[in-house]
Amino acid sequence: MVQYNFKKITVVPTGKDFIDIILSRTQRQTPTVVHKGYAISRLRQFYMRKVKYTQQNFHEKLSAIIDEFPRLDDIHPFYGDLLHVLYNKDHYKLALGQINTARNLIGKISKDYVKLLKYGDSLYRCKSLKVAALGRMCTVIKRVSPSLAYLEQIRQHMARLPSIDPNTRTILICGYPNVGKSSFINKITRADVDVQPYAFTTKSLFVGHTDYKYLRYQVIDTPGILDRPFEDRNIIEMCSITALAHLRAAVLFFLDISGSCGYNIAQQAALFHSIKSLFMNKPLIVVCNKTDLQPLDGLSEEDMKLVVEMKAEAMKTVIGQGGEATDSDEVLLTMSTLTEEGVIAVKNSACERLLNQRVELKMKSKKINDCLNRFHVAVPKKRDEKERPPCIPQAVLEAKAKEAADIEKRKLERDLENENGGAGVYSASLRKHHILADEEWKEDIMPEILDGHNVYDFIDPDILQRLEELEREEGLRLEQEVDNDDFEMDGKELTPEEQEALAEIRKKKSLLIQQHRIKKSTAESRPTVPRKFDKERKFSSERMGRQLSALGLDPTSAINRARSNSVPMRGRKRERSLAKGDDGNDAMDMDVDQSSKKLRMMSRSRSRSTSRPPGEVVPGEGYRDSKQKVHAMKLAKKSVKKRNKDARRGEADRVIPTLRPKHLFSGKRGIGKTTRR
Amino acid sequence: MRLEKCWFCSSTIYPGHGIQFVRNDAKIFRFCRSKCHKNFKMKRNPRKVKWTKAYRRLHGKDMTQDSTFEFERKRNRPERYDRNITENTLKAIKKIEKVRVDREARHHALRMKGKKAKEQREAAKELEQGIHMVKAPAALQEEPSLTLPKIKVKVSHQQAEKNHLMEE
Repeated sequence: MVQYNFKKITVVPTGKDFIDIILSRTQRQTPTVVHKGYAISRLRQFYMRKVKYTQQNFHEKLSAIIDEFPRLDDIHPFYGDLLHVLYNKDHYKLALGQINTARNLIGKISKDYVKLLKYGDSLYRCKSLKVAALGRMCTVIKRVSPSLAYLEQIRQHMARLPSIDPNTRTILICGYPNVGKSSFINKITRADVDVQPYAFTTKSLFVGHTDYKYLRYQVIDTPGILDRPFEDRNIIEMCSITALAHLRAAVLFFLDISGSCGYNIAQQAALFHSIKSLFMNKPLIVVCNKTDLQPLDGLSEEDMKLVVEMKAEAMKTVIGQGGEATDSDEVLLTMSTLTEEGVIAVKNSACERLLNQRVELKMKSKKINDCLNRFHVAVPKKRDEKERPPCIPQAVLEAKAKEAADIEKRKLERDLENENGGAGVYSASLRKHHILADEEWKEDIMPEILDGHNVYDFIDPDILQRLEELEREEGLRLEQEVDNDDFEMDGKELTPEEQEALAEIRKKKSLLIQQHRIKKSTAESRPTVPRKFDKERKFSSERMGRQLSALGLDPTSAINRARSNSVPMRGRKRERSLAKGDDGNDAMDMDVDQSSKKLRMMSRSRSRSTSRPPGEVVPGEGYRDSKQKVHAMKLAKKSVKKRNKDARRGEADRVIPTLRPKHLFSGKRGIGKTTRR
Repeated sequence: MRLEKCWFCSSTIYPGHGIQFVRNDAKIFRFCRSKCHKNFKMKRNPRKVKWTKAYRRLHGKDMTQDSTFEFERKRNRPERYDRNITENTLKAIKKIEKVRVDREARHHALRMKGKKAKEQREAAKELEQGIHMVKAPAALQEEPSLTLPKIKVKVSHQQAEKNHLMEE
């Protein structure tokens, strides 16, 4: 049971599309690459897989189609008949049967060919078997494609059928074409059915929903029925007939008493009588519509008679239900959809009658017993006739009375607050009800912190006592202290001189340490140079003199000795002064024993080479005499004078012969990047 | 409102200062400032960190046991308010504090007692041992007092005879 919602059926593809879908899926979802060099079992497996896969897909899809289309025998006879009326049951069944056969055939094909593939001995043979199998399956589908197309059409139409629930409360509207059925349904429900002056405007069933006494009623609008023999009826009329036949509903037979539909009352009455068999066991109401054109009282005699006949028939249905013989107002109603008078009355009476009928039926059926159980109210049976009212003790009653009085008398905090200015102004004293030794203490503010201590930690009832003890102790201690204090030794103080000396010592020590630390840290990278390359002049005799004198020694002799032993750096005229010093000082006897190197250093030529008068000709230069040399020097000076004056670049100024030597600007690096050169 | 103690350095945490850390076992660590907090996060032991009270107490730098500490005890049950007791308590706190401070000072003095003598002895020894760095032994023999020799002016050998500027 699909809940009578045929919208959920999957789309049925056409034959061609079907084949395309399945084959492309096989192409995509199975492995595609195979070579003839593979093992034969692998080849076989490959092609068998393809065949089986295709068969499975076909099977799935065809089964889906077969299952989703409703089986006419399984659904409600109303729908079965309706579908039969619309689509022809046989044709429908045939189509589905064909699909089923196709499915079985495809299964057989697949089985056969898989069996054959088991014995395929080459790639080519297996492949051709697979091609044959797939081809045959596709042919099967091609043959079945008209059925597929037909089913697709049916599916589309079925999806658009109105969703009528055959079991719920239904009101059916029937009558000749153009009598006002669709207008009526438009009035009472939200349905929007076409209303046109021509006949057969409504070509199929339409459903609307309306409410009555908190229940939902379906209202079904049918196409008009003509008075014809049963066999001659067309599909549209058959729809209405089906609806009438199978739905257990209240029937409203519409009568156009004005005749503006094109049919007079006689014809309509004839129709009524011909289909009255369909009204068995259904609450029937004859509704006279279009009373604005022709009121019921203004009818002619024969018409009136016909109407009364119909009414009698309708009454029979009422009586047939076991209802009371009521007046004719229940079965014959007049209304006008144009002026909307009587419309609601019709609806109400129809709903009422239907409801009563359904309730009666339910009461008679067995199902009601389940419901009846739920309605049972259990009441204990009375044992005897004694009165047993509820018993409340007297004390409780008194207390209750007192409390009631109390509540009125007692003043609430809230009232107090309101008196004193409201919520923002008045702040209640939370300590009002505190129980303290003395009532005056209630509003006391106690400090919580004092001097970095929490007061609460110190609170003690006998704190005074303990404090006394403490102070006593302290007093004792102090006395002891005073006694002990006499033995404070002053010790030996250092004199100012000694302090100075000590400070000096410490300074020297720290200096030494600093120097040592520097030396240590630079030891690895510092070269050890001999003294003659002493740039900072650390090892000068002056310095030595200063240091020695700082220590309190006489440095003169040391300095002299040092100087006499030293080598002059820039050719100082030491020999002369030294010679002088030699005369006066015996300590300098060592001069005689100086090394030959030093003697050479002090020789005449050496001493002279370091300073000469300007024009003196040195042998080896190539001048004839000093005059020539002087002239040459003058010429040289003159030649550069102008250039110098103009501040031009000269021979000695720096010149870079090649600005970009190749060895610097080309070549790859052994390691690293060459982003800069 | 309560003044708490910093877990690391044991100083008081006033309201609005510091950070509290609650561990998964619900133990609360309060810190007076981020220095203590960061040291804690580094997992340093306050007993090994020189400037904390824990270290000082452990190594005997500060007073450990004293009767003045008995007065300050955390009470868990609130006491009923009594004005007299509170008054007395407030007065007592001040006195107790004074006593405590005095005792601390005494403790400190006791600790530092032998320091001066020791320093003097050390200074004398250093002087004796290091005097050769500032005054040559030869000069010392000539003149036994500890006055330092002055630095001489520059010597040029012509005036060598004149420049015996040794001061006595």
